[in-house]
Amino acid sequence: MSALAEILFGGLFQGSLYAMMAVGLALVWTTIGVFNFSHGVFMMLGAYIAWQLVELGLPAAVAFPVAVVVMAGVGWILQASVVRPLIGRPNIVLVVVITTLAAGSLIENGALTIWGPRSKQIPALIDGNTTIGGVGVSLHQIAIIVITPLILAALWVFLNRTRLGLALRAVAQNEDASHLVGLNVTALYGLAFAIAASLAGLAGIFMGGYRFMSPVMGSDPLLKALIVVVFGGISSISGPIFAAYLIGFFEAACSYYFGLYWTPALLFGVLILTLMVRPEGIFSSRSRGLA
Amino acid sequence: MSPVLTVEGVTAGYGRVTVLHDISLEAGRFGNVGLFGPNGHGKTTLLRAISGLLKPRGGSIRFDGQDIAGLSARAIVGTGLIHVPQGNRLFPDLSIADCMALGAYSARARPHEAENREKVIKLFPKLAQRWRQRVRTLSGGERQMVSIGTALMSHPRLLILDEPTLGLAPKIKDELCASVLEISRGGVPLIVVEQDIEFLLELTQQLYLVNHGAVATEIKPGESLDHGEIMSMYFGH
Ligand SMILES: Nc1ncnc2c1ncn2[C@@H]1O[C@H](COP(=O)(O)OP(=O)(O)OP(=O)(O)O)[C@@H](O)[C@H]1O
Ligand SMILES: [Mg+2]
Repeated sequence: MSALAEILFGGLFQGSLYAMMAVGLALVWTTIGVFNFSHGVFMMLGAYIAWQLVELGLPAAVAFPVAVVVMAGVGWILQASVVRPLIGRPNIVLVVVITTLAAGSLIENGALTIWGPRSKQIPALIDGNTTIGGVGVSLHQIAIIVITPLILAALWVFLNRTRLGLALRAVAQNEDASHLVGLNVTALYGLAFAIAASLAGLAGIFMGGYRFMSPVMGSDPLLKALIVVVFGGISSISGPIFAAYLIGFFEAACSYYFGLYWTPALLFGVLILTLMVRPEGIFSSRSRGLA
Repeated sequence: MSPVLTVEGVTAGYGRVTVLHDISLEAGRFGNVGLFGPNGHGKTTLLRAISGLLKPRGGSIRFDGQDIAGLSARAIVGTGLIHVPQGNRLFPDLSIADCMALGAYSARARPHEAENREKVIKLFPKLAQRWRQRVRTLSGGERQMVSIGTALMSHPRLLILDEPTLGLAPKIKDELCASVLEISRGGVPLIVVEQDIEFLLELTQQLYLVNHGAVATEIKPGESLDHGEIMSMYFGH
């Protein structure tokens, strides 16, 4: 019983964080057709901004939302400075890998200079612990497990049930046709980045509440998010969401039965097998476009 | 009648290649305008320059007295100049309903959304049956209907069609021709690019032969030529 509870809980928790990160990566890919390699840095920056605001005396209930909004601005600015000027270039995918990596490393070093290398921690969403099915868990982690699906559902509703969401899905599919119905394509690109950065920032806040933060805290989650989108397929946001939870459960099960040491190797093994059988990912069609 | 659209000395191209060389034409003075000419001679490029997808390098484009050369595509949609691009790629994973909602996205078109939707359904009843179906699963003819329907949702004051019959069977072509004629009768002037001369003669009153990025010949109403003469102009003498 406790084995199942542990795997279930660990999977839901890790899956939530992966989903939160991967969805932003997928959103940017589907709308703009680029990979944002500063996505992990967005996560770190969200956490540090939240930490700074709490440090300045703001209550967490104010500091966290403010940090998320600030991250939307950061995403917008990054898009306008290192992505938008390159749109229309034939080799944009590779060029943007480099520009976003460069911008990310700049921000990372900026964070190191401003906040120093000492590990920090931000308040948990909810303090305290409890036991479920014989497994001790923190209320912070339970909060993350509950909040994440709500946010992802809200994103789904936004994309599929609102006019602005429809516009974002349209830009993802045909840029010229989007111009010809009068969409503000540049603003929509900015919006995609802003949403992605907010979600990453929120993931950072979640993570900073139970683990020590450092300026490089985003690099592993970025790698995981990349695995998730490759695994789940990048042509929609629902594919990566399912894949995130699947990988979460897989990791939880692996580390329970084989130990943490073997988990990455097993994960990559499954990933390679998946790509051999279904190069477009398991939950995805071959086209680009949000669904 | 004064012209609705005046293109004067427009030069445009891609990268180092210049496609349009100082092209000039007028539309709306004698009714609908047809453009024809050999493949790759700049008809689509001209339409892209008019609708703001491509910035002209020089020249002026006046729509209803306003200079629109260099405006963003979005601003041009806002003036009511609506362009249906070649190849009806559209939004492959959106439904017809979504496409219609997008057509009415601009502030100018939104107040007329319900009324225009009714017009589209009356013109293309087939679309109503497939309302929730994804565009990629529609036939070529249906997709062309969605393209034109989306443009009608944008509440056009001038409608530009780029090769609407491309790849369509003769019967579907005739149906489409009738529908487009209906739009024109409803008071929307047209600019149509077509390879099918019959289609053009049916729909338009004034023709331009575009060759090497410029107007080679203009055919005004009354000077109506027969099919053979047009074909010989087409292929050179
Ligand atoms: N995006 C582009 N980049 C570079 N060159 C282009 C681009 N689009 C078109 N061209 C070139 O511009 C020239 C004119 O093309 P355009 O599409 O305007 O011709 P067209 O008259 O519409 O032809 P068709 O009847 O085949 O549609 C062609 O030589 C084409 O190769
Ligand atoms: Mg063409």
